[in-house]
Amino acid sequence: MQINLQEVVPTYFERDQTNGSEVWGKSIVLNKGEHVHIVAPSGSGKTSLIHFIYGLRKDYDGKISYQNENIKNFSLEKFSTFRQKNLSIVFQDLRLFTDQTARENIELKRQLNPYHPAQKIDEMAKRLGIANKLNRLAKTCSYGEQQRIAIIRSLMQPFDFLLLDEPFSNLDENNRNKAFELIDEECKQRNASMIFADLKVLDFFTNEKRLRL
Amino acid sequence: MHKNISTLLNTSKNKISKWLSYFGLGIGMLLLLSSMQMFININNLLKENNPRKNGFDFISITKVITNENMGKDNTFKDDELAEIKNQPTVEDAAPLISNQYRVKASAGNIIPFSTDLFLESIDNNFIDTVPPTFKWEPGQATVPIIFSSDFLELYNVFAPSQDLPQLSNKTISSVNIILEIYGANGVQNFKGNIVALTDRINSVLVPKTFMEWSNQNFGGISKVNPSRIYIKTKDANNPQLISYLDQKNYHLNKDKTKFGRIKKVLQNIVSALGVFGILVIVLALMLFSFYLQLMIARSKENLQLLLTLGYSPNWLSKTVAKTWIPVYVFVVIAAVAITALLHYAFVKISFVERNDLPYFLHWSVLAVGLLLLALSVFTNYRLVKKELYKIV
Repeated sequence: MQINLQEVVPTYFERDQTNGSEVWGKSIVLNKGEHVHIVAPSGSGKTSLIHFIYGLRKDYDGKISYQNENIKNFSLEKFSTFRQKNLSIVFQDLRLFTDQTARENIELKRQLNPYHPAQKIDEMAKRLGIANKLNRLAKTCSYGEQQRIAIIRSLMQPFDFLLLDEPFSNLDENNRNKAFELIDEECKQRNASMIFADLKVLDFFTNEKRLRL
Repeated sequence: MHKNISTLLNTSKNKISKWLSYFGLGIGMLLLLSSMQMFININNLLKENNPRKNGFDFISITKVITNENMGKDNTFKDDELAEIKNQPTVEDAAPLISNQYRVKASAGNIIPFSTDLFLESIDNNFIDTVPPTFKWEPGQATVPIIFSSDFLELYNVFAPSQDLPQLSNKTISSVNIILEIYGANGVQNFKGNIVALTDRINSVLVPKTFMEWSNQNFGGISKVNPSRIYIKTKDANNPQLISYLDQKNYHLNKDKTKFGRIKKVLQNIVSALGVFGILVIVLALMLFSFYLQLMIARSKENLQLLLTLGYSPNWLSKTVAKTWIPVYVFVVIAAVAITALLHYAFVKISFVERNDLPYFLHWSVLAVGLLLLALSVFTNYRLVKKELYKIV
């Protein structure tokens, strides 16, 4: 799968706000297998960009297309097929069902289009150090734990692109490394791309496309 | 996609409106289904048993004699006859022409009996028993007669008390009747010969040719307006026909249509009940749709997140709507079961000796039950889908 961004600018941006940006107003082709690292300070529109690409918001000028089809014309039904097969996401605000357990949250995604068997949940949780939190309600977990639940949830389905919006913001160095390792492994398995938005340059990548917002 | 998402739906609030709508749906369905079954029962029970010729009923109508029109001309005019013939429920209509002169009948020497008589004639195709001998031409001394079997029965009742012999259907044809016709030019005798009996028309029928000739010759009238008209119809109990005749103030043989009248009244009552049932069903479905809307509004965040995660809106609508299928199935089955019980009780207590009423519900009642079930589930599905698209 391929994602195209053609001269995308948020409608609420001032003209000079896009100056010097390597994303806004430019044409960018995102190919499967190529990692992209978007670096920007807060307030520059990282989350907006991720939401535009995922199809949650439409308040931009320009064109975003999956497979050369403008996603502004997509029905909710069509988005759902892409979100089951081609695109996965870790939201900055996580978006968990807070009244469900960690396992239920992950399972809700896994059962939609299972890429992994259910046992894989325990395995991943163990690697990220939240194995003992799986049966707790999401709202009783710390933000860092919830972040890891959201990461595991995003890895339960097949995808070509994994959208990550500051996924490690509340993780310490050690947990951050473990999480990246897991994500990297899963992407390699699927030959998928990470679209990784963060405040600062992360040194995990070796051959990524680095874009400044 | 198997996991139960019902835990994500906020179904805990507004339980009263939910249960009220189930209850309303059940009552409405019960009303509709049982009134349907009763409608069918009434139809079956009050099937009239008149003799039919090729599936037709023959009924005679006259104008109602009231104090106002007494003594006036109460015969049918040509345009009235034409209008009756034009009714969609009337296959054909024919006038009964009566004699315009005095006629006296006696049975000669064998049976010492004599009476004033009336004669009538009607189109041959309205008579159920027309032998080939039922013809008359001017100059013919013998007049063939078709006699009402009711009249024969009546005669046989009073004959013994008058020292007259009783007559069988067969012997009556051998009785020689002498018809004395009194006209302006004196009396003329004809030989009457009963050639057939009829169950259909209570009259003494002679061929039309004879009636026209004799009215002209003895009564001096060539055109006679009939006071009785015979109607040929597919169903004498057809409510449309009955209301037409009522509206025109035409009187008809009540015996043959009383079932039709009872049937009409009962069916009207039952239909009204059925309409009421439909109304209750509509209200119940509306109440449930409010409940659904509220439920979706309360579960908005969870449903939004499911859609964001990639759940298909169609699948979600189906799944949410499916949640209530068991309840709806239960409600419909309960309504059908109670209807079946009511019907069974009705058959038991309605003194039906004929095998007109089966103990089971008519298939159409079951079909309507199923249809309502499908309709309720479908409307819920559509509503949920509409609401889901609203929240994104």
